[in-house]
Amino acid sequence: MHTKVLLQKEMLENWRNKKWIWVPLVFLLLAIMDPISNYYLPQILESIGGLPDGTVLELPEYAPQDILLMSLGQFSSLGVLLIVLISMGTIAGEQKNGVMDLLLIKPISYRSIILAKWFSLLLLVWTSLFLGITASWYYTNSLYGEIEFLSMLLVTFYYGLWLTLVVTISIFYNAIIQTPGLVAFLTILTTIILSIVTNVFGTHIKWSPVNLSTYIHEMLVLGSVTSQLIATAFTTIVLIIIILSVAIYCFKKKQH
Amino acid sequence: MQEMFESINWAVITPLLVIQGILLIIAIIDWAKVEKTNGPRWMWFFIIIFIYTIGPIAYFIFGRRQQ
Repeated sequence: MHTKVLLQKEMLENWRNKKWIWVPLVFLLLAIMDPISNYYLPQILESIGGLPDGTVLELPEYAPQDILLMSLGQFSSLGVLLIVLISMGTIAGEQKNGVMDLLLIKPISYRSIILAKWFSLLLLVWTSLFLGITASWYYTNSLYGEIEFLSMLLVTFYYGLWLTLVVTISIFYNAIIQTPGLVAFLTILTTIILSIVTNVFGTHIKWSPVNLSTYIHEMLVLGSVTSQLIATAFTTIVLIIIILSVAIYCFKKKQH
Repeated sequence: MQEMFESINWAVITPLLVIQGILLIIAIIDWAKVEKTNGPRWMWFFIIIFIYTIGPIAYFIFGRRQQ
């Protein structure tokens, strides 16, 4: 009940501070950058010039799948950075400037606050991701070659889980730390550690969330969803639920 | 150069320019409305206008006061 009201408040706030406009736009930009620049790479190189006469440039021929994956690559680096930056102050900042104290005077459960913040961020991130991947898919189809619509939806879903995990980690640090900058730093550090651990112990932890993009690649090449991908998605969902529960627990503890 | 302009498929490029344009306009409208920014207000104006694409985004992330 309270969660719904708080969620509405969050949505209104994100609308007023224009996040609902600029975040989707930036995701669109990130998504279509690579399809367009790769398409025009020969012309760009030619116009810059400076190449000796007779140079033959062997530019790689990209398969449509490669292009869609390039957009995912942009989301993994700049997209994740953006998500971390927009979410770093969502609770931490309010604890610092006292808004959270005002909120906690009212009989609102700690769980509602965390869930409302978490869900409002997810709505924004998933909408942006969906718009971005649709745009990338559209460009891939018109410039490089066909990818099925269903594949695109599957890519959105499975990749969205990775971004959901990033949002959840950020919410977790938000709940326990009051400095937005530190929240951002720790969130990024955690994802980096996660990927290092996955790479080092690769053979033992096949279902690490970090591997989601690898399996998405496999899915696009093979044209079918592998059991590995489903297992990894499942691990990611479980991990998200655990982190979120711990975040709510720590937030309760801290406020008492 | 002329040749290059003719060879460009504008249907491909236009969305990119439109998105960058909207970002710029939204950032400027927002900048005009808010009374205070993090750091000097005029500095953000120049950042939004002159730093291509990154400027408006930087303004939204760092320039805007959250409350």
